[in-house]
Amino acid sequence: MASLEAVRLSKRYGDRVAVDDLSFVAEQGDILGLLGPNGAGKTTTIRLLTTILRPTSGSFRVAGMDGDDPAGIRRRIGVLPESSGYPNRQTGAEYLRYSARLFGRDRAGAAQIADRLLADVGLSDRAGSRISTYSRGMRQRLGIARALVNDPAVVFLDEPTLGLDPAGQLEVLTTIRQIALHRGATVVLSTHTLTEVEQLCNSLLILHHGRVRAAGTVEDVIATAGRRIGSTRLSDAFLSLTNEERP
Amino acid sequence: MSAVVVAEQESRDLWVGGRGPLLVFAFSVLLSAMTYLAATNRAMNFLEQREAVNLTVQVSLTVGVLLTLLVSADAISGERERGTLEALLLTPVSRRGIVGGKLVAALTLWLACLVVTVPYLWVLGRGVAVAGQAALLTLIVGTLVAVGLGGLGLLISALTSSNKTSLASSLLLLLVLFAPTQLPALPKTGIGEALVRVNPIGSSLHYVSQVLVNRRSWTYDLSYLLSPALLAVVVCGVLIATSPRIVKLTAGVSSE
Repeated sequence: MASLEAVRLSKRYGDRVAVDDLSFVAEQGDILGLLGPNGAGKTTTIRLLTTILRPTSGSFRVAGMDGDDPAGIRRRIGVLPESSGYPNRQTGAEYLRYSARLFGRDRAGAAQIADRLLADVGLSDRAGSRISTYSRGMRQRLGIARALVNDPAVVFLDEPTLGLDPAGQLEVLTTIRQIALHRGATVVLSTHTLTEVEQLCNSLLILHHGRVRAAGTVEDVIATAGRRIGSTRLSDAFLSLTNEERP
Repeated sequence: MSAVVVAEQESRDLWVGGRGPLLVFAFSVLLSAMTYLAATNRAMNFLEQREAVNLTVQVSLTVGVLLTLLVSADAISGERERGTLEALLLTPVSRRGIVGGKLVAALTLWLACLVVTVPYLWVLGRGVAVAGQAALLTLIVGTLVAVGLGGLGLLISALTSSNKTSLASSLLLLLVLFAPTQLPALPKTGIGEALVRVNPIGSSLHYVSQVLVNRRSWTYDLSYLLSPALLAVVVCGVLIATSPRIVKLTAGVSSE
């Protein structure tokens, strides 16, 4: 059974269409890349699937739960929102313990989860430090750890490497790969960085002005779009599909 | 249960984060200055002891409620601006649980103000055995007003698009409610009486002064508590009914 399925999903704000007639499927363990230029509808799509926004029309299922059961979906997903804020006065361990308790864990269970996840993302040595002292990369890893406190079946990561230096990007990408590999979770990765998609994702959804321009495996998308333009590069396929000018 | 977790964490952020202790310290400085003046200043020490206690209760109630309102007015709009609300909305905690937890946390500030007030009441009320009565009165009436206005602060916070707007609107609201209580005595019949009764702060302060200064029984002017009680019930009802629609990433009541 698909762990993620959207059927003709749309979101409109008055006359403005943010997401239009979006349909796709992702299986368990997939890393689905969500690509598109600014304003393509990537964040709106994630917010629809994570129940933060209500669709104008269409339906979706996440981790076996229908879209009309938002609390059920939220119990089974983990999300790193775009430009997520953090409570600067809390320590990393406190932040994760609180998050785990919001998912129904008792104090002891929440403490165990926090310790394990901090170790998983390489932040054990800074567990007792205030988040205000963390670098951006450390915050992103903390955010990914937070997305995993409920052992989710589907993880949504909205531009997790935005603003990170190459070393920080590598750390985050390694963590994402491990999530799919060791936890068997489906990962939806929204990004602008094509190399991340090529390195990590086994399927791809290219959005432009809220509509799906291409979907399938990375190879399929390159082959289909590349055939028209005579290229075997994802960047060329992406630019061709989104009508962007080549530099 | 989740509301309890939210309330615990919000209270910890308020008290361990330093904002709560700072506000209560400022509150205690204000009460100290006022008590000192009431006890020693020539212009003010004409006050009979019961009047001095009443003055302390009125300041405590008004300022305590003001601080509660400020904390609740920051609760949702502040999280929006700091970018931490989305993570909270992504948990299975219901919107009602989030609002309930935040309201309880804001009310801890009111309770702290009450605790700080008790020694001042004891000092000013010595000899007339009124301190206990005043403390109980402050607890009951003040909590009623704090729930109503704290809830209103949360509503404003959820509905306004920026934290500054939320805080400014809440302060303006309190000013509008508090200003009439400082006007020269309103007529005791007709419009003046109606204005006192309809204003939850004005009617609460009137009720307190009737019990403490005029030595009325607690039930004599009980109808003056109707407006604060009504405000608390209505605001809590509105929060319960609307929180699933108004506690969201963007301000307003439209469906997201």
